[in-house]
Amino acid sequence: MLQTLPRRAVVALLALSVFFPIGLVLYQSILSGPFFMPASLSLESYAFIFDDPDFWLAGKNTLAVAFGMGAIAIPLGAVLAFIMVRTDLPGRRWLETPIMIPVFVSPVVLGFGYVVALGPVGFFSVWFQEIFGSVPWNIYSLTSIIIIAGLTHVPHVYLYSSSALRNLGSDVEEAARLSGASPFRVARDVSIPMVSPALLYVGVLVFFLGFEIFGLPLILGDPEGHLVLTTYLYKLTNKLGTPSYHLMAAVATCIIAVTFPLVLLQRVLLKSAQRFVAMKGKSARQRPLMLGPWKWLALALILAWLFVTVIVPVAGIALRSVVSSWGQGIHLLDVLTLDHFRAVFEEDTMIRSIINSILIGTLGGALAVGGYLAIGLATHRQNDGITRFVDYVILTPRAVPGLMAGLAVFWVFLFVPFLSPARSTLFSVWFAYTIVWLAYGMRLIQSALMQVGPELEEAGRLVGASRARVSRDITVPLIRNGLLGAWLLVFMIFEREYSTGVYLLSPGTEVIGAQIVSLWASGAVDVVAALSLINMALVGIGLAIALRFGVKLHD
Amino acid sequence: MTDKTILAVDNLALAYGDNPILKGVSMHLNRGEVVSLLGPSGSGKTTLLRAVAGLEQPHAGSVIIAGRAIYDAAANIDIPAEKRDLGLVFQSYALWPHKTVFDNVAYPLVLRKVAKNEIVQRVHAALKNLGLDHLAERYPHQLSGGQQQRVSIARALVYNPPVILLDEPLSNLDAKMREEARAWLRNLIVELQLSALVVTHDQSEAMAMSDRILLLNGGVIEQQGTPTEMYAQPQTFFVADFMGSNNIMKGRIGDIKGGEARIDLDNGLSVWGLRRTNAAIGHEATAVIRVEQLHLADGPGHNRAEVDLATSMFLGDRYEYVFHAGGDLLRAWGKRHEAAGKRWLELPPDALWIF
Repeated sequence: MLQTLPRRAVVALLALSVFFPIGLVLYQSILSGPFFMPASLSLESYAFIFDDPDFWLAGKNTLAVAFGMGAIAIPLGAVLAFIMVRTDLPGRRWLETPIMIPVFVSPVVLGFGYVVALGPVGFFSVWFQEIFGSVPWNIYSLTSIIIIAGLTHVPHVYLYSSSALRNLGSDVEEAARLSGASPFRVARDVSIPMVSPALLYVGVLVFFLGFEIFGLPLILGDPEGHLVLTTYLYKLTNKLGTPSYHLMAAVATCIIAVTFPLVLLQRVLLKSAQRFVAMKGKSARQRPLMLGPWKWLALALILAWLFVTVIVPVAGIALRSVVSSWGQGIHLLDVLTLDHFRAVFEEDTMIRSIINSILIGTLGGALAVGGYLAIGLATHRQNDGITRFVDYVILTPRAVPGLMAGLAVFWVFLFVPFLSPARSTLFSVWFAYTIVWLAYGMRLIQSALMQVGPELEEAGRLVGASRARVSRDITVPLIRNGLLGAWLLVFMIFEREYSTGVYLLSPGTEVIGAQIVSLWASGAVDVVAALSLINMALVGIGLAIALRFGVKLHD
Repeated sequence: MTDKTILAVDNLALAYGDNPILKGVSMHLNRGEVVSLLGPSGSGKTTLLRAVAGLEQPHAGSVIIAGRAIYDAAANIDIPAEKRDLGLVFQSYALWPHKTVFDNVAYPLVLRKVAKNEIVQRVHAALKNLGLDHLAERYPHQLSGGQQQRVSIARALVYNPPVILLDEPLSNLDAKMREEARAWLRNLIVELQLSALVVTHDQSEAMAMSDRILLLNGGVIEQQGTPTEMYAQPQTFFVADFMGSNNIMKGRIGDIKGGEARIDLDNGLSVWGLRRTNAAIGHEATAVIRVEQLHLADGPGHNRAEVDLATSMFLGDRYEYVFHAGGDLLRAWGKRHEAAGKRWLELPPDALWIF
């Protein structure tokens, strides 16, 4: 049938785009050398990395980060959600946006911010030392990495727990109150058990994010040599001197072997969490819990958290980008300069990376949303085998951290002859970004599509419109606002992205995020500071527009 | 099937996974006729309508409209919804919020590539028919519920479909408007000589609006007939129970005389009625009598019993009496207020069914 042809084409293209790069990684991992050189099938790459004590050390550190992060982020995020949703905290509405900021700041920028703010000669360290005589923290220790990772992932936990709490109808709580339970008992016996599926889900999510964390350990773990699996993979390039693709592929496969089951587990947990929500009562207006004088303590704690996770690194970067040098005994006014920005705008690669970043966010974002929309429409209200297949295809890239996805895409462009001319164009970067953020984008599109009442589309079919015509004349016009919101969110995510572009970085494909990673390795702190500030400004512009249009930052 | 038949459904079966929803339903609709699909929720009435419309996927049987097979499992025919040329009025009206009233009604004609000036003419004619001409430039959210419904009907009629399907057309209106809309809709269907298939769960709505009623139960047609047949001659307990307000009493068959039987009720009463069951003497049976058929009597007699009047309730146009008879509560209607106490009650044997 004519109508199903575009649908099949979309699904086939999607499956190819997702599985071919991953398949190439798996294939490369069982070769004795890079795939473009004569190589035989062998498991020596696995033997090599399993023999490497650094690999096991990195694995241990990764576990420490993943668990530690969860231990910090989950309780804090859940408490934050409870305070924000259920209590009379002053300035709750005003706080909603700042709380989400860490999600939208590139981790590599954040890591850099901590170095210049709290590092040995960071602004806050120097000020602290001038006042108190010594600095009690070491930003480069594994503990610091865990604490910072934990604090910056609080918003993820907040996001899911708060929406679960909001969905929880107040009538079930009121019923408990009328049965004689105190507010504390209500929280313990009704509210928390009812949001526990969401908390379980978020626990797995945070553990998963901890497993693929890259930017923070790359910047903060470097000076003392704390490796995690992703940074181990990244450093592997130089290990043998020659391109050690097979080793990288083996490490990538090991990471995927852990993350893919976690992604599947998340899917199962999310479904069961939704089943719980389906039993929710009517959500009438909830009466906030009166905190009394405690509310000032709660507010102080939230502001302290915001200070550490947002203000300290951002202020550090902002300051660092306008001073020529910094250290003890230096007066701020003596070293103020705009030279770093001048340096950025004098160099072609820098200008290109800024232009490319803007292009990939605006045009690339729009194209990505268009692609996601095509996939969304191909499976919209068709509950058949193809739709279930697409469900799993969409999930698969989530299990592949951006760094490795970028590597896989890079290999695809090397491997497929007719694609290689496009390797050093922005198309390769766009392609990698679009695949990496597939699951995120599809969630935005699918939740927009779900808003359209099925009978509006059925009415179109009945009066004589084909499926394609219904999509064009009814479904898409009805979700215009959702698409605009998705575009803005994808813009921010694409600006924030850094790891996916690392291996695709070449003249012509520079984007700010990958440029920062590469410049950081060369020690160009001044330019990194300026680029980081520009990067945050771009995300900030997207955020401002999104808020102006009333786009919800989460669903 | 005759040439008067405009819609014929034959042995249609449909399942959601392993869960059968329609278990072989056959029906037909004649030109200019209104047929109601009536039944409790879960009986399959909406599914049947949607299967005819092409919105649900049956797995056996056939659907023929105006001589054209639009679905036939045996011949592997399944015309998609948009090619079936049917009009459907949705329960929620399903007006497209991003189109004006005019554009909503015009869309079917645009799809049929009708010339622009003809579209304008036909849409305005359709809107005029339904008294909506002055609202053409409004958006759906600027209309009242009743107006939205009429736009939805105009949209379903504008391309002259041979059959119009209505899914619970009155259920979104408030109780008072519903009765007026019922009369208006019946009048419109008769005036425009439409052939209509209507889904409803309200038996009085079905009786008022339709020429024939199909009562569905658990995916099969329990009984079909004119409204009077359905109300006065129910063949099964389910139909008797569904079609009116009843007194229902359990008991055992005490005696049988041709088409009549005596039932000895658990509440102590013993009455004669029409036998609608094959149960033999001594077996369990159920007696059903419409609330309006019970009436007070002045003394003992055939099929009369002395019961305890507990209370009289004023319903506006009548009183409802509530009696205690053993463990049962019986209800009857009357014109006057009656004081509580012992009363004689008559259960006319020709209005009492024993199932």
